Amino acid sequence: MTDEELISFLEDLPLRRLHVLARGRVHRHFRMGKQRLIDVFLKLPPQIRSALEEDLRSTTIPIKASPPEAQQPRSQKKSSRQLQTPSRHPGKSSGEPSTTVADLLEGLGVPPSTTFVPDPWQVDAVSQLATTDVIVSAPTGSGKTYVAVEAMKQAMAKDSTVIYTSPLKALSNTKYMEFSHLFGHEQVGILTGDRRDNAQAPLLIMTTEILRNLLYDAASGEIDLRLNTLGLVILDESQFLADPERGVVWEETIIFCPTQARLLLLSASIGNPQELADWLTSIRPIPCHLIHHRRRSVPLRGAYLHPAGKLSPLFKSRDITQGAGYAFHPETKRLFSKYELETFGPRGGR
Amino acid sequence: MAPAIHPVELVEILRHKNLTPAIIFLTSRRACDEALDAFQRSSVRLPQNRCETIATFLKDLADDYPSIVDHPLIPVVQRFGVAAHHAGHLPSWKIAVEELMRKGHLDAVFATTTLAAGVDFPARTVVITQSSVRKAKDFSDLTIGEIQQLAGRGGRRGKDLVGFVIVTPSPYIDLHVLAKGLTGFPEAIESQFVISYPMVLNLLKAHPVDHIEGILAKSFAQFQLNQRAEVHQSHLDSVHEHLKPFGPRECTDWITQWQVYDLARRRKSQRRPLPYRDTPALAAQLPFLTSGRVVGISKGRGIVLRQYRSRGQRYPMVSVLRSNGTVAECPAMLVTHIYDRLLEFTSTRSYPWCTPGTLEWLNQEMTQLPPRLPSLPILVDKEIQEDTQLTDVLTDEFPCPTCPSRNACRKDHSTALKLRQKSQQLTKTVQALRTGLWHRFQEKADILQHFGYLTPSSHLTAEGEWGRLIRIDHSLLITELIRMEAFAGSEPSLLAGVLASIAHDDDRPGSFLRMSPGLSSMLNQVRAVADSLASYEDPPLLRSDVAALAERWIGNPELKWENLVRMTNMAEGDVYRLLARTLEFLSQIQSLRETHPELADSAKMGITLIRREVLEELP
Repeated sequence: MTDEELISFLEDLPLRRLHVLARGRVHRHFRMGKQRLIDVFLKLPPQIRSALEEDLRSTTIPIKASPPEAQQPRSQKKSSRQLQTPSRHPGKSSGEPSTTVADLLEGLGVPPSTTFVPDPWQVDAVSQLATTDVIVSAPTGSGKTYVAVEAMKQAMAKDSTVIYTSPLKALSNTKYMEFSHLFGHEQVGILTGDRRDNAQAPLLIMTTEILRNLLYDAASGEIDLRLNTLGLVILDESQFLADPERGVVWEETIIFCPTQARLLLLSASIGNPQELADWLTSIRPIPCHLIHHRRRSVPLRGAYLHPAGKLSPLFKSRDITQGAGYAFHPETKRLFSKYELETFGPRGGR
Repeated sequence: MAPAIHPVELVEILRHKNLTPAIIFLTSRRACDEALDAFQRSSVRLPQNRCETIATFLKDLADDYPSIVDHPLIPVVQRFGVAAHHAGHLPSWKIAVEELMRKGHLDAVFATTTLAAGVDFPARTVVITQSSVRKAKDFSDLTIGEIQQLAGRGGRRGKDLVGFVIVTPSPYIDLHVLAKGLTGFPEAIESQFVISYPMVLNLLKAHPVDHIEGILAKSFAQFQLNQRAEVHQSHLDSVHEHLKPFGPRECTDWITQWQVYDLARRRKSQRRPLPYRDTPALAAQLPFLTSGRVVGISKGRGIVLRQYRSRGQRYPMVSVLRSNGTVAECPAMLVTHIYDRLLEFTSTRSYPWCTPGTLEWLNQEMTQLPPRLPSLPILVDKEIQEDTQLTDVLTDEFPCPTCPSRNACRKDHSTALKLRQKSQQLTKTVQALRTGLWHRFQEKADILQHFGYLTPSSHLTAEGEWGRLIRIDHSLLITELIRMEAFAGSEPSLLAGVLASIAHDDDRPGSFLRMSPGLSSMLNQVRAVADSLASYEDPPLLRSDVAALAERWIGNPELKWENLVRMTNMAEGDVYRLLARTLEFLSQIQSLRETHPELADSAKMGITLIRREVLEELP
C-alpha cells in the first residue's frame, strides 16, 4: 500500500478504529487525534506497518473491494444523522454547523442609551439591607457597585457612618475618586496605613486590613473614629475570603464587625454563597439575605482566533451559558488540532 | 507558523471585526512589553484626531499625577491606541491607562492576569491566550473562578449589546480548561483561617482566655470544619446504630477479650519455622556429626567426611563414606545412629574431602569395625515442644470454654471489632475537627508565653501590650528586634532599609547595590535573629539589594525617582510597591510612640522622607 492509499483509507475510518489499530503499536496512542495518529502510522517501521496493513485488509475488506459502494451508505448514514445532531466534519459534508462567524458577530454594537433602570435583584438587595445583612454574589460587571452606592445613600441619609473596604490599595484609590465625585469631597474619607484623609467623613474607604486593625483597637477599648455610629460595612470582593494569605483578614473583620452595623458583602461568582450566608446568619444577631445573581447583564459569546488570522465560534452554541456543558465548534476543533500539530510536531507534546 | 498570533495582527483583526476595545491577557509582564515594542516597529497608526484626544486627556490627567508627564510609553499610546497594564508600572500610570480605557480612547490593553483580581475596567472583548498561571514559582491551571473573572471584563453594561471572549492559542493553553472555566460554575470557597501572633495578642487583650474558644468558633473556618464534622458525626451515629446488637453479653467487654485472643492467634500463625530451623533432635545431633564420626544410615554404616549446608536443601547435609567405598551426600535427618567411635584424619577442601590415602585407610578401618558399636547418648532439648503445646491450648480452649454465648461471640467478634475500631477512629476525627482551631491558638499562645509576651495566665505582659500593635507579616521577628534594641539610635534610613528587606517577599532577582556598612552589619544580625526564630515564624527573604534601595531613597532626599529606578533592574512598579510596603511597616512602628518614643520618631521621620515625588501622589 502506498502512503497516499493508506492515508485516504485511514481517513475514512472512524477514530475509534484507528485507536484499535494503534493498540500495541503506538505508545500512548489514546492521547492523539486522527491527524497525528495517521502521521505516526506512516512513520512506523516497515514490519509493523505491513502487519498494520494486514490488519486493515482483514477487517475492512468490503470497503476495499468496492470503495464507491461502501462510501455511499456511509455518507447517507451521516446525512441522516445530521438531522438530529450537528455535523462533526463540516468540511466534508454539506450540513452547516450550528453557528457561523457571521452569526457570531451579529448584533454587535452599542445599545440605545436609555435611562438606567436597576435590575430587580439590585433593588431587592438594597431594600433587604434595611432589615438584614446581605451577601451579593454576581458575575463581574453586573452592577454590584450600584448596590453599594444605593446602600451608602440609604445609610448616610440616616446619619450613620459607612465603611467601604476593598482588597487592594489601587482599588481603594479608584473607589475614592469615584465616590468623591458622587457624594462630594467633604463626604468621603480614605484611610491607609500612614495617612488619614478626612477621617471624620461619613463615608470611609480603606483596605480590609485597616478595618481589621480598627476593629482590634475598638475591641481593646481604644475608641477610634466614629465606630459608635457605624451603620454599614461594605466588603467588596469578598471572594478574597478564600485567599491563602489574606483570607483570614476578611474572616476577622466579619467576626468583629459591630453588631449594630449592617454588613454588605459583594462578591464575584462563587460556588457556595449559600454557605457563606448560613455562616453569617449563625454568627450575627440578624439573619443574612443572599442575593445570588448568575446571569450576566451583557451576554457573552466565545470565539476562537487561529494564529493565521481565522476567526471561528468557540462553541457550537453562540452564547456562553453556565452549567450546560460545552461542545467545541467543529471548525475550532479542526483549527486547534492543526495548531497543536504544527507547533508541537506529530510526536511532540509539550 | 509562529506559536502565537502577532499582537499587531491581533489588534488589526479586532479592529476590523469591530471588536475593540479589548483587553488582551498575556502570560507575563515581558510579553506585554514586547507586544508594545512590536507596535513601535509596525506601520499602523491611529487617525490624527484620536491621537490628539489621547494626548489632551493625558495632559489633563498629569495635573493630578505629575509622574506620568514624561512617561516613556506616552508616544506609543498616542500613536497606536494601545497600552500595557501590569504590576511593573507605577500606580499613577496604571490609573491613566484605566481612565483612558474607561473613556474609550484605547483600542487594546495588554495585561497580565493579575489585573483580573485588581482594578476593574471593562471592554467589549477579552482575549485569553493562556490557561495556566504562575503561582508561587509553579504553573497551575486557572481556576473556574479566575477564568470567569477574566471573561467577566468582556461586555460593558450600557455600552455593548454583547461581549466577547476570544481564545487564541499560545504554547500555554489547554482549550478544555478554558472551556470548563467559561461554562462551569465557580468553585466553592474554602476558609483559609490561620492564627497569627498579632491575632493571639489582640484577642487576649480584648477578651478573657475562656472566651477565646467561643470567638474562634464564630469563624468561617470553624463553620466549615463543623460541617465536615457533622458528616463524620452522622457516619459515627450509623456505626453506633450497627454496634447496638453487639452490646454486653455474659461479660461486658467480650469484644476486647476476643480481640486479645485474636491477636494471640494471629501472632501464633505468624511463627512460621525459619528456613534453616532444625528440629530439636537434629540440633542436638549436629555437634557430633563431625568428620571421622562413624554413623548408621538407612543402608548400613558410614563415616562422616564433612558436614555442610547447601542452599537447595532444607536440612544440614553430611558427606558419608559408605561401607561399599562410595561417597554419598545425605541429609543429616537420615542419619539413624551416631556411634561412639571417631576416626581421626585431616580433611581437605575438595572431593573426596580427604587425601586418597586416608580414604583407603578409612575403607579398611570400616571393614574392621566390630558388628556392634555403642551409640552416643544424645540429650534433646524439650522446651520448644512445650511451647507448641501451649499454642495448641490457645486454639482449642481459649477463650471462655464454658461461656454460654461463646458461639455467638465467635461468630460476631470480627464484625464487632471492626465497627468498634471505626467508631473510635471517627470519634477522634470529629474531636480533632471541632477543637483543632483552639489547639492551634493554644500552640501560638504557648510560643508567645515562651518569648514573654504573655503571662502564664494568658494576660498580656508589658511587652505584649505594645507587641500587639505590630500587625504585619513577620511580626514576631520585628517585635523581637525591637526588644533587642537592634534599632536603638539608628537613622531612619537604616530602619527603613531593614524593614524594606523584611517586607519584600518577591524573589525576582535584583541587582547588587552597595549599601552602608552600618546597614549590612545590621542585616547580618537580623538574618541571625530570623534564623533563630525560623521554627516559630517563616523567615523573610531579607534581600540586601532592596534594603540598599530603600536606604538610598530615604538617606538622600535629593535623589530623583528616575535615578533611583535606574539603580536597579527591578521594575518601577515593584520599587514603588517595595517603598509602599516599607511605609506600611514604618507606620506600624510609628504606633509604638508611647513605649518606644525614639523609635517611633525615627519611623515618623522615615515616613516623611519616603513620601515624596511619586509616593506622594496617592494616599
